Amino acid sequence: MIEIKNLRKTYDGHEALKGISFNIREGEFYGLLGPNGAGKTTTISIMSSILEPDSGEVLINGKNITGDITEAKQLTGVVPQEIALYGDFSAFENLSFWGSLYNVPNRELKQRIENMLNLFGLYDRRHDKVKAYSGGMKRRINIAAALLHQPKIVFMDEPTVGIDPQSRNLIYEVIEQLHQEGMTIVYTTHYMEEAERFCDRIGIIDNGQIIEEGTLQELKSRSNLKEVIEVTYDKLEDTQAGEIISRWPGSSRKENKISFLLTDIQKELPGIVIKSSEIGVTINNIEIQRTNLETIFLNLTGKQLRD
Amino acid sequence: MLKLPIKDLKLFFKDRPSVLVTFAVPIALITLFAFAFGGAGQGNKENKISMQIADLDNTDLSAKAIAVFDTLKNIRTNHVSYEAAVEAIKKGKENSVLIIHKGFADSLETGSELPLELQYDEAREIEVGLLQQSLIPTVFRLPFSLGNPKAVMAGRFEKLTENSSPEVKENILHQSDNLFESLSQGIAENSGTTDPAGAFLGNEIKMTKLVAAKKDSSLGLIQAVSGTAVMMLLFSVVGIGMGLLEEKQEGTLKRLLYAPMNPMKILFGKMISANIISIFQLAVMFLFAALVFGLELKNHSTGLLITIIATAFACSAFGVFLASFAKSRQQVQGLSTLIILVMSAIGGSMIPIFFMPAFMQKLAVISVNYWSIQGFYDVLWRELPVFSTTFLSRILVLVLIGVVLNFLAVIMFKKNILKMN
Repeated sequence: MIEIKNLRKTYDGHEALKGISFNIREGEFYGLLGPNGAGKTTTISIMSSILEPDSGEVLINGKNITGDITEAKQLTGVVPQEIALYGDFSAFENLSFWGSLYNVPNRELKQRIENMLNLFGLYDRRHDKVKAYSGGMKRRINIAAALLHQPKIVFMDEPTVGIDPQSRNLIYEVIEQLHQEGMTIVYTTHYMEEAERFCDRIGIIDNGQIIEEGTLQELKSRSNLKEVIEVTYDKLEDTQAGEIISRWPGSSRKENKISFLLTDIQKELPGIVIKSSEIGVTINNIEIQRTNLETIFLNLTGKQLRD
Repeated sequence: MLKLPIKDLKLFFKDRPSVLVTFAVPIALITLFAFAFGGAGQGNKENKISMQIADLDNTDLSAKAIAVFDTLKNIRTNHVSYEAAVEAIKKGKENSVLIIHKGFADSLETGSELPLELQYDEAREIEVGLLQQSLIPTVFRLPFSLGNPKAVMAGRFEKLTENSSPEVKENILHQSDNLFESLSQGIAENSGTTDPAGAFLGNEIKMTKLVAAKKDSSLGLIQAVSGTAVMMLLFSVVGIGMGLLEEKQEGTLKRLLYAPMNPMKILFGKMISANIISIFQLAVMFLFAALVFGLELKNHSTGLLITIIATAFACSAFGVFLASFAKSRQQVQGLSTLIILVMSAIGGSMIPIFFMPAFMQKLAVISVNYWSIQGFYDVLWRELPVFSTTFLSRILVLVLIGVVLNFLAVIMFKKNILKMN
């Protein structure tokens, strides 16, 4: 559905995109992950036709979006990172205005706005000024405004930043519903749990390049990352600790706690328990840190996602 | 296309402080200036007032009289033909012409009334009033400095005693030599305008309105309304223009760009809303002046509407241009305050233009305030027809200012505002 081909963009001598290419299939939930300044927003700005690339192209349904920007924009909805609403307008007035820009007939628009306000749990507050809303409520309207013209593709640029858990859960439910209804969603986020929960595929972008792409399982298997378990002992003598660490190279001790780097926890954990018993130490607690997107990201980019 | 200006108008009227600044503050200032300019005739006497002189007598004595007028401290004379003088007054370039009619030299010799006439533009009554005050004492003295004083005295005594008894006439004629000495001494020593001898001798200038204005409208009021309204309008439109930067800062501009429409519509929408609010603001100001101060508008509606629209067009273009030109709200605020105050000061919003020195009056043409205020004068005071070249030329200048600034705003909008990163 969307083909990104060799996009390049330079601002003031800084190369923001260095020829990135990737494809997004129809109905797919595609996560674009990267630290600040990696090129996510530039990519979305080009995909949503408000920024021209220096070179490369974006095809939607096989058509270059630069050919007919208006048609491309009608197909897409964008949830911006900022809360881009008029604070002095009510939720209803905001949605009426933003919906009207996409040429939705008035009567139809009114019906869609009511549906949207119900969906996001704000129907009762529809006539309140948006500036009186909580951050979470504003975020909900911010998303609703991008969906009124029923786009086939939605770009969501960190749509859940800085909101309360209640709003976050409501937004998650709506996003899942949209995905189930077959909408193609391109999602950027700093929250790994969101990427792990929603994304069919993930593209990891850093320094203007896609450095890894695939499903979460594909990324895990390609990463060759070891999983970590932390075993806390009741009491641990130096000799006992030395015996354990020599048996599992790469392990490390901190007071009564030993961290083990394992390739396969299921196979290796029983051995740790047996060995501990043999040398006469009592296990108080075992914590397992499985490979996740966070560790994969850290391994690939050397950066925390929130760098 | 109309969705964007409608949105802007709704937002404008929801923002109560902005509405207050747009309407209440100018109304308060108009009230203040209206009272202040009620006594505008007492204005600054340091600046020279321009006066044309047309010499139809063309004698040595008329040339000498002109030389005397040239030395007057408060008057800047300009020697022209009568036709050129009339043309300049009708175009609003000059306020008056002092005509030295044929027979001036003979009148000086014989002591009869001097054939002097001041033809003037009633719209510039304040200037002409000041001119008259400076001119009359000199005219009183002309027969004594250039003509035949004794003949003048004889003629005056004759006139003063025409209804008296033969005895009284005889008595006065006997004392005329002494009276002449004392009066001429007084004239020589007293240069004030309350000169008793001058008043006694009573040589007057015939005053003729060349361009008449309606008497029930006050020039001071028109000055107060038009000057203040234009200045405050400039502040308002800058605020409206700044909405562009606010939209950029808050992300709504970016969201507008995501929508399927030409990005230039965002600017055009802002221009339309700025124009509508400007027209509304000016209309409210003039209606206020009409209702509260009795400014006569009824017979000037077409010309007033044309001037309001042209002013709104030029001023709103200025606001949008400034917002497109600047890179931040703070930059616009600082820059706009400076530019508006300078334009208002030199353009006649704060002080009537004729109170200013000549070079300042020439400089005034670079200010949008000048063209607009002159347009309002043309309509409300000079009562020029809407098809008069003088009035239309001012409207044309306002429209041109609007076109040029809007054109520049389009360029700067593309360069500064639409640049998303």
